[in-house]
Amino acid sequence: MYRCKRCGAELTNKIIKINGVMYCENCARAMGYDRFLDNPAELMGSAFSPMDELAANFMKLADLDFGSSTVTCPKCGMKLRDYENKGMLGCIECYNAFNDYVVKEMFRQQGESEYAGRMPGKFVASEDIEKAMLTDGKENKGEENKAPASDSKSASAVKNAGGTPAADTANTEQDNKLAKLEKADIGMLSDAELEDGIRLATASEKYQLAIKFRDELKGRKAGE
Amino acid sequence: MSMWYEKSGEDMDVVIATKVSVVRNVKGFNFSPKISTAESDSLLDMVSAVIDKNKLMNHWSVRQAKENKEEANLLTPETQIFENGMNAITQPDHKGIYYNADASLSVLIGDREHITIRSMSAGHDKCTYARAEQLASELEGKLDMAFSEKYGFLTSDVRLTGTGLKISYVVAIPATVNNNGGLAALRQRVAQYYWEIRPFAEQGELADSNIYVVTNVSTLGVAEEDVESRGEMLIGDIIKFERKLREELAKKKKPQMADLCGRSYGLLRYSGSMSRKEAVDALNWIRIYKDFDDSGDFKLSWEAINKLTQMMCWEPQQNGLKLRPDNLAAVRSRKIKEILKGDD
Repeated sequence: MYRCKRCGAELTNKIIKINGVMYCENCARAMGYDRFLDNPAELMGSAFSPMDELAANFMKLADLDFGSSTVTCPKCGMKLRDYENKGMLGCIECYNAFNDYVVKEMFRQQGESEYAGRMPGKFVASEDIEKAMLTDGKENKGEENKAPASDSKSASAVKNAGGTPAADTANTEQDNKLAKLEKADIGMLSDAELEDGIRLATASEKYQLAIKFRDELKGRKAGE
Repeated sequence: MSMWYEKSGEDMDVVIATKVSVVRNVKGFNFSPKISTAESDSLLDMVSAVIDKNKLMNHWSVRQAKENKEEANLLTPETQIFENGMNAITQPDHKGIYYNADASLSVLIGDREHITIRSMSAGHDKCTYARAEQLASELEGKLDMAFSEKYGFLTSDVRLTGTGLKISYVVAIPATVNNNGGLAALRQRVAQYYWEIRPFAEQGELADSNIYVVTNVSTLGVAEEDVESRGEMLIGDIIKFERKLREELAKKKKPQMADLCGRSYGLLRYSGSMSRKEAVDALNWIRIYKDFDDSGDFKLSWEAINKLTQMMCWEPQQNGLKLRPDNLAAVRSRKIKEILKGDD
């Protein structure tokens, strides 16, 4: 039984032998050894592929245009040959200068070349993560003891249901206090005000604001 | 203050650490292969100016390390801020690091990509991702990042183009690896999510340590939150799988497991000289049987087990400590004993 030198996986029908060392298909791909193969599956079928077959595969490379390896990025001077050797681009303009090659490389590595992520500066944490982030610090665990989540939920439930006049007044006061804290220069707030801010913001389900207060408080405590 | 790797976390029996890195480049500067010294310094100044010093209050640079040894000592390999150790960083004079009190959140400026944000947590922590992304988002609001609507965040390494996001879980899966076909089954599962699993160390002492790193492959064609949710599902599967196999082992071979676990504990507790491999192997036997031990003979918390494992994995190179291998093994044993004594 053979094992992949890189990951230790048991080698079954897919074996790649490189410089006498045997690898599994995944590791060979991860190491980039399939990048120049016309049909990797054909070569990977045998652990002892004859060298002439290997050479023939290299010669069949459809995507390796040796004539274009002198292509140079007009901005940073990076040569296509250097990019192919090192796998690193020199500047933003390289994406245009070597576009065909870059897109092919993206497909090889990831099977995709289209972006599906967020826009810059637009990260929004999901609600459960925000809640988890709020309760992961020691100081916030202390906050939990002071104002259990169930209390805040019941408070907002009362508010939503109309509630008693006294409860409404208390809620309005809390809202006003939170609004004041939100508008204030965070650096000028005392630790006690920040703690209040965390509690009130959590109760009002303004988790981003609560995180802001928590981070400020955490930073102060860490800096002591 | 304790560092992030000394803290408690969830699922510590299987997950040693959750790590997230996000890379970004600043528009107007060449990428690392073509950046000049002057550009590097200018980049360092520009990014340093917008770092929130309340959040990342510690700063490290070569210049500062030379002047202030105490600060330099904070950045031991165990902090894992440098993925491959300081030696792997080229031109360190033009790089800087900002990090928080427990080194769980850091910004490395001027490495392979202009900005590398790292968020790390002990055990399994789904907030690790959000902390890194939140910091990335803050910086994106202050700096003009290299971004294209078609390809996303542009990076020097095309494998990171797009989200620039890598989520990794460092897992100890001795029962899976020792099970016939266990690792192959896990590999198949990981590939279904389009993630990859690789050994913690490709070569050297820890090559067969049963510690693996599970990482997402795609940064294109998939949104950040999908990568995160897939990771959560995957790590849940890995934890379940490993626990089930440990339970089977403990049930079927209880006397052998109890013996191996006891011996391993004795070795860690009383050995005077120990190699990294010996220590990690001993920790792995303890991992497998710890939750099924009903003798109460040895008490060792998951925090201590993980702290020891991380200590072995991220031990400074012996050249750094200027010790001969036998002396290093003795120093290692002494450190292990100190941790175990504290955990008694």
